[in-house]
Amino acid sequence: MRYYLKLGFILLIFCAIASGILAYINTLTAPVIAERKAREEIETRSALIPNAEFHEVQASDGSIFFEARDPKTQEIMGYTFNAAELGYSSTVQTMVGVDPDFNVIDIRIVDQAETPGLGANCTAATFTDQYKGLAIQDLYVDKDGGVIVSLAGATITSRCIANSVRKKAIQVRDEINQGGGE
Amino acid sequence: MGYLGELFVMAMTAIFIQNFVLARFLGLCPYLGVSKKLDSAIGMGMAVIFVMTLASAITFLINKYLLIPYDIMYLQTIAFILTIASLVQFVEMVIQKNAPALYKSLGVFLPLITTNCAVLGVAILNTTAFRSDSVTAYNFLDSVLNGLFSGVGFTVVLVAMAGLRMRMEMADLPKSMRGMPIALIIAGIMALAFYGFMGFQI
Amino acid sequence: MRFTKELSKGFIKDNPIFILVLGLCPTLAVTTSVMNGLGMGFAATFVLLCSNIIVSMIKKITPPKIRIPIYIVVIASFVTIVDMVMAAYLPALHKSLGLFIPLIVVNCIILGRAEAFASKNNVLMSIADAVGMGLGFTLSLVVIATFREILGAGTWLGVRVTPLAYDPMLIAILAPGAFITLGFLMALMNMLKEKK
Repeated sequence: MRYYLKLGFILLIFCAIASGILAYINTLTAPVIAERKAREEIETRSALIPNAEFHEVQASDGSIFFEARDPKTQEIMGYTFNAAELGYSSTVQTMVGVDPDFNVIDIRIVDQAETPGLGANCTAATFTDQYKGLAIQDLYVDKDGGVIVSLAGATITSRCIANSVRKKAIQVRDEINQGGGE
Repeated sequence: MGYLGELFVMAMTAIFIQNFVLARFLGLCPYLGVSKKLDSAIGMGMAVIFVMTLASAITFLINKYLLIPYDIMYLQTIAFILTIASLVQFVEMVIQKNAPALYKSLGVFLPLITTNCAVLGVAILNTTAFRSDSVTAYNFLDSVLNGLFSGVGFTVVLVAMAGLRMRMEMADLPKSMRGMPIALIIAGIMALAFYGFMGFQI
Repeated sequence: MRFTKELSKGFIKDNPIFILVLGLCPTLAVTTSVMNGLGMGFAATFVLLCSNIIVSMIKKITPPKIRIPIYIVVIASFVTIVDMVMAAYLPALHKSLGLFIPLIVVNCIILGRAEAFASKNNVLMSIADAVGMGLGFTLSLVVIATFREILGAGTWLGVRVTPLAYDPMLIAILAPGAFITLGFLMALMNMLKEKK
């Protein structure tokens, strides 16, 4: 019995040393990761609606979207928000910029792990450029009666992006119309 | 969609659409290593189903009640693999003592399962998986069932592969193609067949 | 003399993928592009090198009964370090390797070398073994990825190498292409060995 306690104790020491080292490295890398994520988000946002000042707005369900205002006139130039939906093998996250009438200015796929060669092509500009200028009611893939041409062999990925962008755009629009005074 | 529908989607996805071996590339070592004979393939398959289901249950609890509340997600890999290793050891001891007949058929495969990446894979995937509405994270029951279905998916292709390879033994192949190369090419053709399920969205 | 022998065996004689057939999951999953293959290769080499050094250093104080759990703890720690450092400094690569970084833990090559080599040899030899095996693994990944990327995407390391008229054979970077490419490469290896 004492022998097994000793074995357990040795294993415990190894685990303790390992977790100590990992905890230390985590304190070094975690801020770098967090900072990079924040910076990337800001960069993407400003790429969608250039030369604007962004204000965070909290929707009634707790999600966040951003209001883009002209830095001089404080006129609203549009909104940006993140849309996410389950694609084929991962959750596809899209950042969307819309103008005040909710026509899409541009989109960027910010996070995905779809099949390389098929769904993963959704990050290409040739695909995302199709969204430019579309109104909410056009945000369907061609198979669902919209104008967005699906990626070859990746209907599910294409559809999930179109659907998530449309749903989120409608949600944000309703939120703003209700809020009124904002 | 009711919960049964949700389960049906989960089962179809795990077994056919996103098969662990052929679409996700997990558990390839046993898939190619233990598929020479049909009985050992079935034995391995059963052992994997058993361990995957148990491992999904335990790792879910560890993740939810230890790693997330104490904010130590970076210890996930180490915690999961140790849990799985000790679980396999424990299962081996219990089966050996209480069900010697079962131990005879499964026993040799159990130690191999520790290094089967499909088990660790399903444990990690469960922590980031969502139901088909892409909002609800997996709860305890979902995780356990996903482990079960993934194990079944693994067993289905393993047993099919063993059947194919047993026939392949009779074939007159060029010497350099025998053994592993032809097994890999068969696996490729099987993966191609499973791509037929890919377009399905349930 | 022995040092160079241990160093070079991983490339051809005991090549982990083509001869020993170990670590197939990452091999097939990440070789969709040469960049991913290189990333996975170096990550695994780093883990292999560190774990071999530590395992060989602690071989005298490791109780034989619990050696496997201890090796797993050592390996898992280094894998987590690689995971965190990659997430911080190589985010794009981290993203595309995804699940397969934590899964380096169960890569049979690493545990296999710890058990079969590092636990029986001194630190210097273990380093040679790890570097040789690791680079052999990386080299094999790059070879497979080269075939798959050129056939399937028409590029090598992201640079277009085929004429524009070539319509990439998409299947090569999908799952079936992974199995078939490796199958043919192994057959080729066997053929070359027979000729010798």
